[in-house]
Amino acid sequence: MDRGFFSNIELRTPTGRVYYTVAVIFLLAVALVTLFPFFFAFTSGLKDSTEIFQGGLNLLPRVARWENYQQAWEWFEMPRLFGNSFIISGVGVILRLAVSTAAAFSLSKLKPFGGKYITLGFMLTLMIPSMAYFVPLYTTIARLPIVNISLLNSYWGLWLPYCVDAFSIFVLKTFFDRIPADLIDSARVDGANALQMLAHIIVPLSRSIFIVLFVLAFVGLWKDFLLPYLVLTDPYTQPITVRLFYIADDYSINLQMASSFMALLPPLLIAIALQRYMKIGLTLGGVKG
Amino acid sequence: MSPAASPRLPRNSKPSFWKASDNQISRCRVESPTRQRFGGLTMNSPYSLNPPVIQPAARHRPKILTRLRVALPKQLAAYLFLLPALIVFALFAWLPILSSIQMSFQDVQLGGVGTWVGLHNFELMLKDPAFEIAWQNSLGFASWSLLLGYFVPVVIAILVREMRHGTGFFRVVYFLPTVVPAAVAVIIWRFMYDPDGGVLNEFLAQFGIARQLWLQDVHLAKPALVAVMTWSGFGTTALIYLASLQDVSQELYEAAELDGATPFQRILHISLPHLYPVMSLMFVLQIISVVQVFTEPFLLTNGGPGRETLTPAMHIYNRAFIRMDMGYASAWSVTMILVLVVFSIIYRIVNARLTNEN
Repeated sequence: MDRGFFSNIELRTPTGRVYYTVAVIFLLAVALVTLFPFFFAFTSGLKDSTEIFQGGLNLLPRVARWENYQQAWEWFEMPRLFGNSFIISGVGVILRLAVSTAAAFSLSKLKPFGGKYITLGFMLTLMIPSMAYFVPLYTTIARLPIVNISLLNSYWGLWLPYCVDAFSIFVLKTFFDRIPADLIDSARVDGANALQMLAHIIVPLSRSIFIVLFVLAFVGLWKDFLLPYLVLTDPYTQPITVRLFYIADDYSINLQMASSFMALLPPLLIAIALQRYMKIGLTLGGVKG
Repeated sequence: MSPAASPRLPRNSKPSFWKASDNQISRCRVESPTRQRFGGLTMNSPYSLNPPVIQPAARHRPKILTRLRVALPKQLAAYLFLLPALIVFALFAWLPILSSIQMSFQDVQLGGVGTWVGLHNFELMLKDPAFEIAWQNSLGFASWSLLLGYFVPVVIAILVREMRHGTGFFRVVYFLPTVVPAAVAVIIWRFMYDPDGGVLNEFLAQFGIARQLWLQDVHLAKPALVAVMTWSGFGTTALIYLASLQDVSQELYEAAELDGATPFQRILHISLPHLYPVMSLMFVLQIISVVQVFTEPFLLTNGGPGRETLTPAMHIYNRAFIRMDMGYASAWSVTMILVLVVFSIIYRIVNARLTNEN
């Protein structure tokens, strides 16, 4: 029987009921505060531009102006912004997972010489604040060493740095370590090469952890601001987070709210739809230390 | 006695000796007399019966070659799979970290080659009035974030754990802000904080509380920013605590209840001690992320009012990308790394001492 610090019997006593009700009210109040900005953005987006500045606590619009959303959709050129964000985050996540999977597979099952030191080198990046090497990261993107190519205003300038993710490598390696070595050995006896082992044994067995990392990385990349802000200066290629920052102020506040609400919908829907995986992913982050 | 005569030396060769063939033994060379004499002294050591040491070079070479022939294709495959990660980490993490340190001792303009200037950047940094302001602000942000945000997730996790219905609902609701991009969140919050007609002032007016300037107020700007950060981050932390609380054995609570512990005592003596390790980790992570904070102050207040919300990360950005003085900005970056390293070390010492006392 499930219980917390309160037993189920205690909860049926009058004092227990009072405690429980107070707890429920508190949690609901916090939930209300948490949800309020979403609700506020949504309803403010429905108001007209005079009503939105009216005094008093008028939370609901008198007349819901759905055309605001349509206008914001067109004026902010939302389809293009969404498209850019989807391409940046989508390809970024796929590349990141591909690179991380290959590395984790190698470290876990192929046992390269010096693998311990390489792992240590990967983990090191988790300990150094990314803000601390942001400037040279930018100069690297602006001019890659040796080949002297500038990745500014190219999506590769985002996708390649996004592949650096020691957390994914760490999680995947821990997961792969638990796949029995017998499976790998029997595949090797059957003449499978490393790529076939990865594709036919490791990946199918780790589908759940891939979804977890996919959701986490997708939301993370969709949220990113500073790197795309600096790398992409061409308005046509900018993701929604950067573009909104540039143009939001040029429009009336109700359209700003409408566009903001639309901008946060994709990650929100993905997180809600895959909330089971999102939850696992978020708690993975805490356990790793 | 020379260091070469250390009794550890023969140990290295022992396993190889037992595997060596007769042929190899006949080829082995007797080590210097010093070592032999020393070997006789250590009668109690398990190695004292070792015969003379084998010269390693003569014996190992063919073996390594055969091992290499077997291992090479496997190693090649292993490194082939590692290669993409090694390249991106080298280009976009390891090199930038090193060149951040290098650039802090150089005068670097964007795209140009740096000239060495010694500690000049650091001297400039210490003279910069922004140095004191930014780090003081950082300290202020850290205190506010601990005050507003540190205990909220703990309380929420403990209470959600108690819920007999609707835990799923609370869990989803609390983490929703986590997925909102900061750039979008600030547009919404900026309007909520608006001094004229912003919903927060209108709400407070219902209780007769005077209008506030919020983000433009010298005293309120920091807590107002921290409130936004807390809103977007507390759900994750609460979920982590909640996951940890699921591991508390229910028998512990039952035993405490039989012993007459009140519900509050059960929290104090069972739930909280169980959370302590995670809470201490969260403390460090929170400080580290607050010291790095950039997006929220950059987008919401741009450091204002005055320099009230200027953070070290923002100053790095301003110097590197507005004034294009990358060397100077790197001196700040290196300082940031040092501050966080020193903080982690102090924290570890204090934490170790505290856990020892308990």
